[in-house]
Amino acid sequence: MFLCGLTLVVLWGIVALAAPLLATSDPIAINFEAILAPPSSEHWFGTDNVGRDIYSRVIYGTRLALYIGLLGVISPMVIGMTIGLLAGYFGGWVEMLAMRLLDITVPFPFFVLVLAIVAVLGPGIENYFIALAMVGWVGYARLARAEAIVLRSQEFVLAARTMGFSHGYILLRHVLPNALSPVVVYMMTDVTLVILFGAALGFLGMGVAPPTPEWGIMIAEGQIYVSTAWWISFFPGLAMILLGIGFALIGDGLARMLRIER
Amino acid sequence: MLKLSYILPGAAAVVLSAGVACADNIVRIASPYKVTSLDPISAAAAGNIEAYGQLYTHLLRQNADGSLEPGLAESWTISDDKLVYQFELRDAKFSDGSTITAEDVAFSLTRAGGENSAYPAPFASISEVKAVDEDTVQIILTKPSAPLLAYTAIFNAGIVSKDDVEARGEDAFDANAVTSGPFTVQDWKPNDRLTLKANPHYWREGYPKIAGVDLIEVTDNNARSTMMLAGEIDVSRDVPWPQVDELNAADNISIPLDESTVIVILLPNHTAAPFDNLNIRKAAAMALNREAVAKVATQGRAQVANSTLPNALSYYAEDVQPPAYDPDGARALLEAEDAVGTEIELLIVPGRQELATLYKAQWDAVGFNTIVEVVDGGLWWDRVLGGEYQVTATWWYNETEDPDLAVRWALCGTCGNRSYYTNYNNERINELTDAALHEQDEEKRAAMYHEIQRISVDELAQIPIYYPPHPNAYSSRISGLTLTPSLQWTLEETEIVGD
Amino acid sequence: MSTLKYICWRLLMALPVLLGVSVVTFVLMAATPGDPIRLLAGARADADMIALVRERYGLDEPILKQYFIYLKNLVQGDLGNSLRYRQPVADLIARHYPVTLFLVIYTVVLTLPPVVFLSVLSARKPNGVADQVIRVIGVLGLAVPVFWLALLFARFFGAQLGWFPVSGYGETFSEHMWHLFLPALSTMIWVVPILVRNLRAALLDEMNRDYVQAGLSKGLGRKQVFRTHVFPNSVLPTLNLFAVIVAYLLGGSVIVETVYAVPGMGNLMVDSILARDYFVVQGATLVFALTTMLVMLAVDLLSTVIDPRITA
Repeated sequence: MFLCGLTLVVLWGIVALAAPLLATSDPIAINFEAILAPPSSEHWFGTDNVGRDIYSRVIYGTRLALYIGLLGVISPMVIGMTIGLLAGYFGGWVEMLAMRLLDITVPFPFFVLVLAIVAVLGPGIENYFIALAMVGWVGYARLARAEAIVLRSQEFVLAARTMGFSHGYILLRHVLPNALSPVVVYMMTDVTLVILFGAALGFLGMGVAPPTPEWGIMIAEGQIYVSTAWWISFFPGLAMILLGIGFALIGDGLARMLRIER
Repeated sequence: MLKLSYILPGAAAVVLSAGVACADNIVRIASPYKVTSLDPISAAAAGNIEAYGQLYTHLLRQNADGSLEPGLAESWTISDDKLVYQFELRDAKFSDGSTITAEDVAFSLTRAGGENSAYPAPFASISEVKAVDEDTVQIILTKPSAPLLAYTAIFNAGIVSKDDVEARGEDAFDANAVTSGPFTVQDWKPNDRLTLKANPHYWREGYPKIAGVDLIEVTDNNARSTMMLAGEIDVSRDVPWPQVDELNAADNISIPLDESTVIVILLPNHTAAPFDNLNIRKAAAMALNREAVAKVATQGRAQVANSTLPNALSYYAEDVQPPAYDPDGARALLEAEDAVGTEIELLIVPGRQELATLYKAQWDAVGFNTIVEVVDGGLWWDRVLGGEYQVTATWWYNETEDPDLAVRWALCGTCGNRSYYTNYNNERINELTDAALHEQDEEKRAAMYHEIQRISVDELAQIPIYYPPHPNAYSSRISGLTLTPSLQWTLEETEIVGD
Repeated sequence: MSTLKYICWRLLMALPVLLGVSVVTFVLMAATPGDPIRLLAGARADADMIALVRERYGLDEPILKQYFIYLKNLVQGDLGNSLRYRQPVADLIARHYPVTLFLVIYTVVLTLPPVVFLSVLSARKPNGVADQVIRVIGVLGLAVPVFWLALLFARFFGAQLGWFPVSGYGETFSEHMWHLFLPALSTMIWVVPILVRNLRAALLDEMNRDYVQAGLSKGLGRKQVFRTHVFPNSVLPTLNLFAVIVAYLLGGSVIVETVYAVPGMGNLMVDSILARDYFVVQGATLVFALTTMLVMLAVDLLSTVIDPRITA
């Protein structure tokens, strides 16, 4: 299953890299002669409301989807893991400080913060990333902390400490790898969520500026055609699901492998 | 009856009790436009305008076709110098049963032109509104104003109770507002819905014919359409164009396409490069196939715009034409200006993505390099008011058929808002704007407004795109309801005919 | 008794956190460009009138002064007035908050049984048929954009079949259940898979631990070991995640609230941000914060009950 997932994601990676070769037409070229054309041999996935080729847009959209998904989880994960592990491992005032930071961050309604930040900084993917880094870390932090609390009282950690290993060494060598399992599972889910939340931003009108081919925007803009030209939102939706499945399967597989190692 | 109480931390406990949700004689309208205030002078936004008309009556009534007929004023006379308008009021009462007097009218109109009024422009030429006696009121002008009668029917000229407003101040409109129109407030849930009930004291005998109205705020386009299809509402304001056919095809729903004064335009910034250059504006206009844009954006239901003024206005000039679609000519212009590859930023708010896509593709095809920037409404206003934009895609409408206010808003450089903040400033148009307001001769006025449109189209003060009607969906359960060009629902004449 | 002390201490600690939340929100809103009065008064509004109203509402005062005025009122229990509606923020929240709270609790109530059932079913025979089917469906549910699915649900179950209303909240408890069913269902679709996957992973982790294997080899009943040891220990990390998800649900409710025209807090907040209705955003954020903190407290208390290592 892990291999299936990996294959799927790698395939999407290849699609992203080879987009110019795979696309049949310019993803942003409008065509007044082919508005809302259903799927055909000429336009495999049909065309949208301004005559753009949906197949080509889906292909090019892969680039942005991977970019948003992968880059969007990295900083939250790094920040969250660091805070969570330190808090759980050391306890005391470190934990207290981390938990207060968490307490201030968690209650901020996610979309509200993103919208506010988008309003402050202006729209764009980069600002979405900033918002994610500011709020997205809490999930990782809570998971990492919970694991670290459990681990810090375990025999092998205590043993390492009595053997004179430094906290840093123990954290990196023993606690981190063991805490990784739930975090990685969560991260693979998070990739999908980050892509989906990005799409939801598009739904609220605050997404990537046109005419950039981005799946979320394509689905959101295709919504009003849901019963007249289903293909506009269906194919990018399908692409999103297939990419999501890829990451989900990788998550499962990784979790299993890490468990065996332990 | 089930009562359920929630304990709300930090706030009072709320008790929600079962109410009577009888929709029998109620018209339910879902609109994306919000009602933020019930004070007719406090806002000039669409949601408010549409509600004010139901709550406050006017000296003159405007019919769906735009014609004026007696309202609160049974009759009126105009002095020969056109400076004194005298109105005789009929016997009428406010919703609280108190009599509507000339004092109330004078108070309301003075207030609408005062410093607390969001939109005093229509009343600028009024020097005084005075109550001559209980039933007679005079409007005295400093200079003649051709559309004055029409302005007495405008949304913020609604009659409010002097006693109540003086007693309660601005709070008068927060709860239990005293109203003079066909309806009065039953319940207002801000950010959700305004529920109106028939005003038993409304002066028009036998009206309204319905018991009440629910004005429901629904931002999402799809949600309104789904609600319409599910029969949860009777009217959907602004059906998205791609769903017009679908809704029309449903039993019990029709979309008659109400006439509107809406004009969809592009605003160039006349004091920023590159659109301070007429040739660049021309190139931008010539690059656009406006027929195709109108067709795509409204599924062929809008008329291509030729003038800088809406086609539903009086004195609209049918014969003016912006440069025709000519991509090669546009490119040649750009080459002559050495402007091929010029980067231009197209500023839009959410919801305009489709148009932006069309504009960008066509502009880039002739040699512009367009970057689309999407900002929310708040930021948009900051940018536009501050002149920090190059070109923006937007739309506007006019509350009266008379073009005076439209010209002041969109084309006059010295009338307070610098030609819709484009900084377009043509001396001749500025002069004509005032002259046309005071001119009483129909033909001369027509000529003046023609000249304004000719100049502004020649100079491409704005790039007109199309004139859309109102795509409102109506259930066959009701009849007699339409949205007038001045954004008023004809709810007092509406009847329930089905179930 | 110590539990009670703990709760009191946590609630006391909530005060500085709330202060922090209010500072962050205030700074964020103050930094946001856009004039609430312009947005309120409309496109053609007179510039002088806007300036007058701004002055009256004290919007031109220095930010710090505005904040202290706000704080002073807050201490007295006054959340201020909405700039848009001139009504107390508390009233607006009192109208919108119960709706969202109902929706979130409803979603959680609908979510828990399938989560427990599906996780246990999955974990019992890893890679068995049931596990695979659950995984595939879960992945599908996770990867579908909520707003898209919600629209399809509204169109199909609402408009087409007429089984459920597609908008509103209703008046009575049973009407709330009926009106919010589709919104809750649409939200469930992505919450259930997340929780199932985590609970399943935790269950499998726990089952492979030495003490479980030892217990099994000693002849303890599989079911008994599972119930008394495996399940309680596995719930812990999922419970933590659950708290985060509830916070997400509160804030993310705006999506389903938009699609189904539900007059909840998500709607109120987004509209208020777009309208720059500062004090509503402030007040709503504080209420959100308080709710989330209470959920966290509840989760932490529950953790101590479940996890012997924390109580021991």
